[in-house]
Amino acid sequence: MTIYSIAYKNLLRKKTRTALTAAGIALSAWVLATLLGFNRGYENGLNRDIDNMGFQVLLTAKGCPYEAATLMLKGGTGLRYMEEKMIRTVSSDPEVEAVTPMLMQGVFDPNKGESGAISAYLGVDALTFPRMKSYLEFKQGGWFRDNTAYEAVLGYEAAELEQREIGDKLLIPGLEAELLVVGILKRSGTQDDGTIFLPITAVQKIFSKTGKLTGLGIKVKKGTDMAAFENKLYDLPDVQVVSMAQVKTTIMSLVSSAKVIVFAIAFIAVIIAMAGVINTILMSVMERYGEIGILKSMGAMPLDVFRLIWTETAVLCSLGGLAGIGLSLLTARAAEAAVRHFLPFTPNGDLIAVDARIAALAFGFIFAGGLLSGLYPAWRAARVRPLEAIRGEGD
Amino acid sequence: MTKPLFVLSLLLAAAPSFAAVGCDLNDPDRDVARLFPGSTGYKTAYLSVKTLGGGKMLARIEARLGDKFKGLYETIDVPYTLYTVTKGTVTAGYIHGVNQKSEYGGTQVFLALGTDARIKAFYIQKLTSKAAKELRSAAFSAPFTGLSLKEFEAYDPAAAKLPETGPLSVLKSPSPRARKDFLSVLRAVKKNLILLDEFVFSPAPGAGTSAGGAAK
Repeated sequence: MTIYSIAYKNLLRKKTRTALTAAGIALSAWVLATLLGFNRGYENGLNRDIDNMGFQVLLTAKGCPYEAATLMLKGGTGLRYMEEKMIRTVSSDPEVEAVTPMLMQGVFDPNKGESGAISAYLGVDALTFPRMKSYLEFKQGGWFRDNTAYEAVLGYEAAELEQREIGDKLLIPGLEAELLVVGILKRSGTQDDGTIFLPITAVQKIFSKTGKLTGLGIKVKKGTDMAAFENKLYDLPDVQVVSMAQVKTTIMSLVSSAKVIVFAIAFIAVIIAMAGVINTILMSVMERYGEIGILKSMGAMPLDVFRLIWTETAVLCSLGGLAGIGLSLLTARAAEAAVRHFLPFTPNGDLIAVDARIAALAFGFIFAGGLLSGLYPAWRAARVRPLEAIRGEGD
Repeated sequence: MTKPLFVLSLLLAAAPSFAAVGCDLNDPDRDVARLFPGSTGYKTAYLSVKTLGGGKMLARIEARLGDKFKGLYETIDVPYTLYTVTKGTVTAGYIHGVNQKSEYGGTQVFLALGTDARIKAFYIQKLTSKAAKELRSAAFSAPFTGLSLKEFEAYDPAAAKLPETGPLSVLKSPSPRARKDFLSVLRAVKKNLILLDEFVFSPAPGAGTSAGGAAK
């Protein structure tokens, strides 16, 4: 019989008390693992979403950087434009790896719903845009032949709404321009799912915006000092710089503030669980005073008693910790749904990523905390004087 | 601080839904009151051929329609939204819409049916067509009132041919350029009537129509 099996059997002598203490530890481990998983998942998701944009900096016309918002608020009018020559200016910078021009346009379609709605189209470059968005996969077909082709590529949800497949026609309402659908994208979980992509020159022609752009996506070379690069862009006339790194930093700092509070709550939960462990083991020691006295009178050394009680703590914490980690794995999706409900912005993908490393970290923290809690009860047990204990038991 | 968040939400935000696209009223409160004047409330239920009757129901619907469900989006798992309209405590009728592939885009055709299964109102919510204005006009929709599935059984969507005599002969394409989309609309109406018949008016035994749903 090992010391572990003795410790386990001792714990089973008070099943309800042991179960309640283990449940407290499990809840602490669950909160801790879920929070660590959220920390990892959120950052990964945000990085992935920003990387999937294909460019790190978006250049737009000054005064109206948010063309999509303008489309919504002004009904497709009032957009500000950059001149196409901006492509050459930006491309000439040695730190720029690639640029992709974009022209967003919208038309009011009176035949959408009772009061009409805006239909938006994103003109993109047939050569550079697909390279930057290399993660996009096609369900049907492929990209346009060239920038002048009257062709369209639809995001999955846009295609679903318009019931389009390759070979179908697409009409731009009001302008009576007909395009041929040449590609349907697979779901990407990004805004591309709802976008209708057209070749940029064709959009310029259809909407009479020759030589105009609403945005320029910029991908920089690795190792570029982003802050210095952005400062250079600010020197360009009449442009607004939207840095994805800034956006990410802002979001992460906001999330970090929330995380401090949540981790504080988790810390309190762990402290409460540790108090529960101390209470349970100490009570167990008190109840077995006489038994410990007999053990010592039979030759058990203080260190042996200390080890026995400490092992009980370790077994209790291990069971609770493992149950908590298991619970966090089981409830990850439900917790994710709750987080998505409450947070104003959440990235795509797994928001709570509890992997082996996080599970080990959470378990280690709980186990170490438990062992720390077991020190005092084990020390008390080790100091029991045999004769006093046996006499006390007899009384 | 809020500016970058706003930009990111515009750039990254995407609908998390991964189900097949359904057909809902854009503004149910307003649309139900308009399609059913005098109604006092409605209840929404989400139905699909897959969950209600599966492959057997789909085969029956296709046989009654005289045409196969086709394309990427007309599938067995399309979620349909059924609005059960009430007047006081009494059911006044039903509103149900379907998506239909047309020449230039998706068309959403809604029917408001009385409890006698006859069309009380006909509404094209969304249509991309060179003749959209004509097809969404009151003059085009008026002849649909009073028709039922019985009359539409005479229409063969596969052959795209309307009977020259009988009740359906009142339905005319508003112009030659509207012809293709007109035929799409007719197919959508027939499909809609068949689905309502399967879901509400004469469900097959065992096809547990979900009459329950969120009441408004």
